[in-house]
Amino acid sequence: MNASSSDILTQGLTVKLEADLDKNFGETIAREAHGEKLFGCIQCGNCSAACPLSVWMDYTPRKVIAMVRAGFKQEVLSNRTVWLCASCYQCTVECPKGIKITDVMYALKREAIENKVYPKNFPVPILARTFFNEVKRTGRINEIFLLTIYYLRYNIFKMLGYASLGMKLFMKRRLSLFEKGMSDKKEFKAMLNQ
Amino acid sequence: MPINDEARVGFYICHCGHNIANMVDVTSVAEYAAKLPNVVLSRDYKYMCSDPGQEMILKDAEVFKLNRIVVASCSPLLHENTFRNATAKAGINQFYFQMVNIRENASWVHEDKELATVKAKDLVRAAISRVVFHKALEKKKVPVNPDVLIVGGGISGISAALNIANAGKKVYLVEKDPTIGGYMAKFDKTFPTLDCAACILTPKMSAVLKHPGITLMSYSEVAAVEGYVGNYQVKVTRKPRYIIEEKCVGCFACIDACIFKEAKFSDEFNEGLSKRKPVYIPFPQATPQVVLIDDKTCIHFKTGKCPQSCAKACDRNAFDFDQKPVTQELEVGTILLCTGFQPFDAARAPYYGYGRYPNVYTSLEVERLVNASGPTGGNVVLRDKTRPKSIGIIHCVGSRDEKTNKWCSRVCCMYSLKLAHLLKEHTDAEIYNFYIDMRTPGKGYEEFYDKLLNEGVHFIRGRVAEVSDWAINEHEKGKLVIRAEDTLIGMVRRIPVDMVVLAVGIEPGKDAQDIRRVFNISCSNEGFFLERHPKLAPVETFTDGIFIAGACQGPKDIPDSVAQAGAAAAQALALIDSGFVELEPNTAFINEELCCGCQVCINLCPYHAITFDETKSVSHINEAICKGCGTCVAACGSGAITQNLFEDQQILSEIYGLLVE
Repeated sequence: MNASSSDILTQGLTVKLEADLDKNFGETIAREAHGEKLFGCIQCGNCSAACPLSVWMDYTPRKVIAMVRAGFKQEVLSNRTVWLCASCYQCTVECPKGIKITDVMYALKREAIENKVYPKNFPVPILARTFFNEVKRTGRINEIFLLTIYYLRYNIFKMLGYASLGMKLFMKRRLSLFEKGMSDKKEFKAMLNQ
Repeated sequence: MPINDEARVGFYICHCGHNIANMVDVTSVAEYAAKLPNVVLSRDYKYMCSDPGQEMILKDAEVFKLNRIVVASCSPLLHENTFRNATAKAGINQFYFQMVNIRENASWVHEDKELATVKAKDLVRAAISRVVFHKALEKKKVPVNPDVLIVGGGISGISAALNIANAGKKVYLVEKDPTIGGYMAKFDKTFPTLDCAACILTPKMSAVLKHPGITLMSYSEVAAVEGYVGNYQVKVTRKPRYIIEEKCVGCFACIDACIFKEAKFSDEFNEGLSKRKPVYIPFPQATPQVVLIDDKTCIHFKTGKCPQSCAKACDRNAFDFDQKPVTQELEVGTILLCTGFQPFDAARAPYYGYGRYPNVYTSLEVERLVNASGPTGGNVVLRDKTRPKSIGIIHCVGSRDEKTNKWCSRVCCMYSLKLAHLLKEHTDAEIYNFYIDMRTPGKGYEEFYDKLLNEGVHFIRGRVAEVSDWAINEHEKGKLVIRAEDTLIGMVRRIPVDMVVLAVGIEPGKDAQDIRRVFNISCSNEGFFLERHPKLAPVETFTDGIFIAGACQGPKDIPDSVAQAGAAAAQALALIDSGFVELEPNTAFINEELCCGCQVCINLCPYHAITFDETKSVSHINEAICKGCGTCVAACGSGAITQNLFEDQQILSEIYGLLVE
């Protein structure tokens, strides 16, 4: 990021220099997530304890909030936490300071996509993008198309593992080979572009 | 076993619920006691301290014609008075009562019921063989002088003085500095309400000065204290101001006329951030409004060759260069110590660079910097007159540290938040707070922290390891770099700032030990004055009639100090209004016929209760001062000293009872 990062004294060390931080990052995220209360976080850790997925996260939600506030943009955007968030809103419900943590996670996802710094080869952002593109293209989701494109982008071999499940779903007419578009795509696109 | 035929002992053993009965076989102790000589009656009961328990003693005393009472139960500290009163109610002298502690000394400390019971029996036997030799004694009543001495004119002393004087009592307020007001007078705003400190303090200061019931003795120190509760004689030394206090009206014409055209001596009130002249007043609202001369810097005192332009400028002839320290004697009944604290010396934490880097400040210095009446008129600038763009506030400097002071100073988190707010307001700088734990326990305190979080102040949880000027990139050049682990993020951070503020802690005043000796009270391990009980007697000391309030007892903020001052004032007033004090009769007395006049006892007495009667050539013990420690009794080579309740016969028969079944 900054020239100072390559300083021989700090390279590869966990020392964080102020020059490497994005001082406005916290405010950007707070604005995007309607999260003025973000700065009122008292770091109690209730969100991390309430989160059903925090055990698989590299940074717990508590730490993500602390890093956002302090301007650790690089670390926050390139970590898996925001992509693992299942949007269950348990953290937001339990937060004693009323911080909309799930909204913060959404804001971070958007920020990561815009900055193209989300973790490479991590399925969640790939699925998110594919899903969005499909909706944009046809107005609806066709599971077979969605999954095929997703696995082509992510890892085609993983798709084979789901072949028998796919067959069963197909036999029960849960998967369709035909795309069902929507009637007024023009209006829909206009809506998306708003 | 020694026997006194006249003694008729009533013995009671208490179950104390399960406290005693679970580990001591109380019925067997009661049966055993019944067979001991002189014992007329022996009972066990669930709660002796309850009303029915006491009633039982009353009834039994009448029916069985008892004249001695022994109760085996808890600690005398807890219930000796209860049972003494019951004994007195039963028409028996209260000193014919003896208490046996079989709870703390037997049931609570043992695990073998059989052995605990044997021990309880031994203790009971000792008490019964002692009580038969007790003598009837009376408590002495001594009148209480209604005047009060208050030492220390900070916010605690001021509040206590006004409380007591408003109750119509005479108060002497002794302050060692030239003005009252203490540390609070230096503060800009107070947390969490951000009231202006001067606006709420100075009316109280002038109320003290104007109050007809308060005699203010500024620039004075207590040199010696003699006497006892209700009747203290105090010697106060008044330091020379070289100004006649009554004549000075505070026009400051002398300060303008001083031979030093420029002020050039460090101003203590502004923490050395500005200069003053040798003739000065600490601050404009100083109370009393009387100037003083610093004889260490005044040319007249250093060389004697000053034209004394200050004295010539005074149209009231208030100058007196020949003033000497004067000792004044006061008679008071109670004493309140409100002697306060001292801030931790930041130079003792060298890793933060105080004294080495000019832009490292203590919190008190910053209090002056943000103060509108401070050295820069409230304009926050560094020593090179530039405005800081980033400021780091380091918490816990000299607190929570084995190498300096172990305790939490209680006020630093809150005042650091306050300073963060004020600095943000004054400079709009980036502010970083480095804290170990954020401690905001008080009314409105957590809300204040919340407010600061949302004001955009940065909070980094981690103790700062060092402050240095060693830059490793362009960004850090010319700045002070703070190195700390951000423990909540899990990374070590280097943060370059323009200004570092050290939130120094509270520690006992440097003269606390001297004060302790003068007033004969104790200090706790840290050096703060020791209260009689940490929960139930927080403003009393082990010396009757001497009370403590404010930060001299331990770190405290303003509301707590004021509350404690009120509590201490109430305790003093209660003592005064009761009119007299009752003294325990366990004092020592001297048989003048046996006393050889060697005076060994005089030097040993820790309470200065013994004086030497030159005419009779014998020592004399002042009963009112004697605390009954027994030191003199043991030391007397002639066996001339006897102590009530601890006479030889009583002690020997107690030991006999303990050892011989």
